[in-house]
Amino acid sequence: MHIVVGVKWVPNTQAVRFDPHTGTLIREGVPSIVNPHDLHAVELALKLRERYGGRVTAVTMAPPGAVKGLEHIIGMGVDDAVLLSDRKYAGADTLATSYVIASAIKRMGDVDLIVFGQETIDSSTAHVPAQVASWLEAPYIYYVEEVEAIEDNRIRVRRRLEDLVEWYELEMPAVIAVLMHSQKPRPVRLIHKLRAVLEKPVETWSNEILRLDERCVGLKGSPTVVTKITWMPEVPRKQKIFKGEPKEAVNWLIRRLEEEKILPTCGADKCGEGD
Amino acid sequence: MQGLNRRFEVIVVGAGPAGLSAAYILAKKGFHVVLLERGRGVGSKQVFGGRVYSSLLERVFGSLGDAPIHRWVRRERLSIINGERMLTVEYISGGKYSFTTYLGQLASWMAGKAVEAGAIIVDEVRVDRILVEDNSVVGVESGGDTLKADVVVDAEGANRLLLEELGLVEKPRPSDMALGVKEVIKLGEEKIDERFGLRSGEGAAWILAGSVSAYTPGGGFIYTNKDSVSIGVVVSLESGGLVEEPYRLVESMRLNPLLKDIWREGDIIEYSAHLVPERSVRLIPSKLALNNFLVVGDAAGLLLNTGYTIRGVDYAAYSGYLAANAIVEAEEKYGSYSEEVLRRLYEERLKRSMVFRDIARHKAVEMIWENPTMIKQYAALLLDTLGGLYELGESTPSLRETFKNARRKNKVSLIRVMADLVHGVMKA
Repeated sequence: MHIVVGVKWVPNTQAVRFDPHTGTLIREGVPSIVNPHDLHAVELALKLRERYGGRVTAVTMAPPGAVKGLEHIIGMGVDDAVLLSDRKYAGADTLATSYVIASAIKRMGDVDLIVFGQETIDSSTAHVPAQVASWLEAPYIYYVEEVEAIEDNRIRVRRRLEDLVEWYELEMPAVIAVLMHSQKPRPVRLIHKLRAVLEKPVETWSNEILRLDERCVGLKGSPTVVTKITWMPEVPRKQKIFKGEPKEAVNWLIRRLEEEKILPTCGADKCGEGD
Repeated sequence: MQGLNRRFEVIVVGAGPAGLSAAYILAKKGFHVVLLERGRGVGSKQVFGGRVYSSLLERVFGSLGDAPIHRWVRRERLSIINGERMLTVEYISGGKYSFTTYLGQLASWMAGKAVEAGAIIVDEVRVDRILVEDNSVVGVESGGDTLKADVVVDAEGANRLLLEELGLVEKPRPSDMALGVKEVIKLGEEKIDERFGLRSGEGAAWILAGSVSAYTPGGGFIYTNKDSVSIGVVVSLESGGLVEEPYRLVESMRLNPLLKDIWREGDIIEYSAHLVPERSVRLIPSKLALNNFLVVGDAAGLLLNTGYTIRGVDYAAYSGYLAANAIVEAEEKYGSYSEEVLRRLYEERLKRSMVFRDIARHKAVEMIWENPTMIKQYAALLLDTLGGLYELGESTPSLRETFKNARRKNKVSLIRVMADLVHGVMKA
């Protein structure tokens, strides 16, 4: 079985700060990382390889620096990786990105399963898995927490939504997006990382190789327009702590919220009577 | 456990200045060397004050022409702060002896040299233990994987978990270790030039003592980078040394009324903290060589704090260089990396070098370290004396009078001043 796992090379948003004067992100000196949610996709892909055999290929569309991220993933045990990198791909929205990724997967030819993380920490659209599936005309499912079985070219997955669990069966090749925090991504191992450095199992595919219509990739192929960026100013926390019985605590909290005019005033005791 | 087919002649543990220097020299001499680093990228786990002395580094790397040098230190300042008063001595140097940089950039530069020479650098890999068989080191273990080699160079840094397990060092006592906390404040090149009185490319190194660093010697530091200022405090971990949250110490330095205008309008771009071995002499491992094994850099206790300057990066690089040369010579002349050979070719040479002799020599700081009230008393004495001379009302007292008054106020006898002075000069 050939599994492709899609990852994104993102700025570590925990280290990014906001410029309060301009409202823009200060990205200077902020190291990029593999989107943490994607590591759960990698983990699931590696578990499937252990169960069913085959090969796992990581794919990303990014500038050349993303090789570091692909090496990290190969260090976790992924077999090889493809970096889709071309100046022409720069400035892409999710549509143009998914087009390039889907085209690369088509070029690989023998792919049975495509695994993505749930969403990215730098934009959180969660578009790309569904868009890639659409380009490939493959079925897709989000929020997968476990693959229960793969047999007869069908995959049975369990997905968890906020308050329910569902089971689905999809025909393969299929695209699954893995529920964030659902796996335990394994650490980088010495032997795998050494292989990543020594054998460099990362191929770079530029548009010379993919030969995509330039009008469909990068900025030109991106209908999305960012018209405005705004941000919520930091709210100073009041950090009050109440210690006591739950009932007293509830009354205390309601009174505070009434004082702050967050709740309409009705008297805490009265509100509690219904219980 | 899973082994690896590929065999390396040398494994270096830790991609700091010591490990990178060793790997560079070894690769240059044609050795198959792999360097294992636990952090992401080289230099990611390292913190230093901000200044590197260049002469030993030149011996290791030749020209520093393409090194990430921010500014050559021209102005050396030493200040004592006591509350709202400060005494500063400034020395303007005529030559190029040390420069400021970001350690991460310097490490990347060294790594570039090492890789170019043929070294393999593998990051994100933590070495869990040094593998020993039949009383000889045979390789390393990491997450259940083993990697074997003819010789292992331990450049693990100040936090010496591997050496502890080998029994070469004891767990650090709090009194031997200090905590360095540091902020990098981005300010812009021109503002730095203006506020420190520097010409383009010139830098300032500033050591502060007194209340700013809770009276620990060499406690506070300020270094000018290209367009940012590194400020920090080093405090002893001994009880009483660390009375506040570490970040508060550097924060109170940043907000100190005597200093804060220097970085006005600046933007904090980095915060870091690191263990600093302070009493180096006591931190030197019982052995720096075992069969097929060498210890270099901070792990070997090579850091010097004289009270007026702090020196470690160049020592680390130099020890890596000595270790690499010892390995080359051991291979060529003896065909053996036995403890005896390595001790003779590395440990004894290191201990005869200036680096080591200097560390053993500078005990003055330790003396003050052991008696922090002394620096507090003297800071007050000095500043009260100067205050008496400069802060004039109606009368103009003589130096003798003000000194006497200051001594009385701070309860320091003249005899003690003389005794401490002689004692201090002898030890320094």
